[in-house]
Amino acid sequence: MPNGSPPAQYTAVAKTLHWLIAALIVTQFVLGWTAGDLPIGLHKLALLAKHKSFGMTVLMLAVIRVLWRVRHPPPALPDGMMPIERLLAKATHWAFYGLIFVMPVSGWMMSSAKNYSVSWFGLFTWPNLISQSDDAFVFLQSTHEILSWTLFGIAVLHIVAALKHHFWNKDTVLLRMLPFTKPENRT
Amino acid sequence: MIRHTAWSIVILSAAALAGAALTPVACAADAGSYVSDPDSSHLDFVGVQAGAEFKGTFHKFSSTVEFAPDALGTAHIDVQIDLGSLDTKDHDRDQTMRGPDIFDVVHFPTAHYVTHAITKSATGYTATGALTLHGVTKEVPIAFQFTPAAPSAKLEGTASLKRLDFGVGQGDWKNTEWIGDAVKVSFSLALKPKP
Repeated sequence: MPNGSPPAQYTAVAKTLHWLIAALIVTQFVLGWTAGDLPIGLHKLALLAKHKSFGMTVLMLAVIRVLWRVRHPPPALPDGMMPIERLLAKATHWAFYGLIFVMPVSGWMMSSAKNYSVSWFGLFTWPNLISQSDDAFVFLQSTHEILSWTLFGIAVLHIVAALKHHFWNKDTVLLRMLPFTKPENRT
Repeated sequence: MIRHTAWSIVILSAAALAGAALTPVACAADAGSYVSDPDSSHLDFVGVQAGAEFKGTFHKFSSTVEFAPDALGTAHIDVQIDLGSLDTKDHDRDQTMRGPDIFDVVHFPTAHYVTHAITKSATGYTATGALTLHGVTKEVPIAFQFTPAAPSAKLEGTASLKRLDFGVGQGDWKNTEWIGDAVKVSFSLALKPKP
């Protein structure tokens, strides 16, 4: 982005991080909600172990993503969006940025409160964030769950908005985040 | 969630009996006879669950020890462990471990360790001995250090074993991808003279 003007589309790195984290979040919902319904046993333990490893991966990617974002501003929102739409778009994006940190950290704290240290794919173990506490575990578990539904709701809004921009407004908002596209060609 | 084992030690004195005809008084005086003080003795273990280590302890165990550095031939360690007293700082995990597929404490409430022979090592002592756990008896060596502080003493050491050697983990819990087979055991016995 020469001269500080916003780029026409996202960088390849930003797109990769977006879709990678999106895929991991979908996986996390499947693993988390499946494991939550299982009785205590090896199957539950194995699913949650994967959930934790993927979750810590999201956290690491979130750090990279924010650092990248700071140095690489995203393309501007299209002209013609109403102020309320701009506000909603920005709020949604900031909520995502917050949740990709808060979701993994609350899960990490949950594991710590349960005295189950979090391994990253068996390669290394993360330190416990807090000491064992039944009360903290119960609180963190409900926090993690409520935030997961919040994330789900925001994701629905995000997807609906992207599709609305593409099919209703016929702008480049969706195209510029898709891999291998040339959004300049649309208008 | 997890499992495995633990136990530990004590020394008995075969010495007093074996040597009775020759030097009974000297033998009995030389070999210290101890029991562990439950309030300040520890028996801990470390297992691996989903790639991460977790620690556990057995709150209830008793041990008798016959030990004198210059009378190793008669040294002996004997430990009885109440498996139901395990504590890994998580109620769900503790209950699972006490259950039928892991320790099965209803059928195997205690574990027992008894040494066969104790020898001097570079850093302390090593003992050969048998651990009976979950109805299975296997040889498990231990390494320990003995620190006298008359009339008491401290005996600290470690051992490692494989839980599946003892059938600790049945059904799904035989899995070693998520529940490590190897278990590290450590113990610290605060010994006081046998009453």
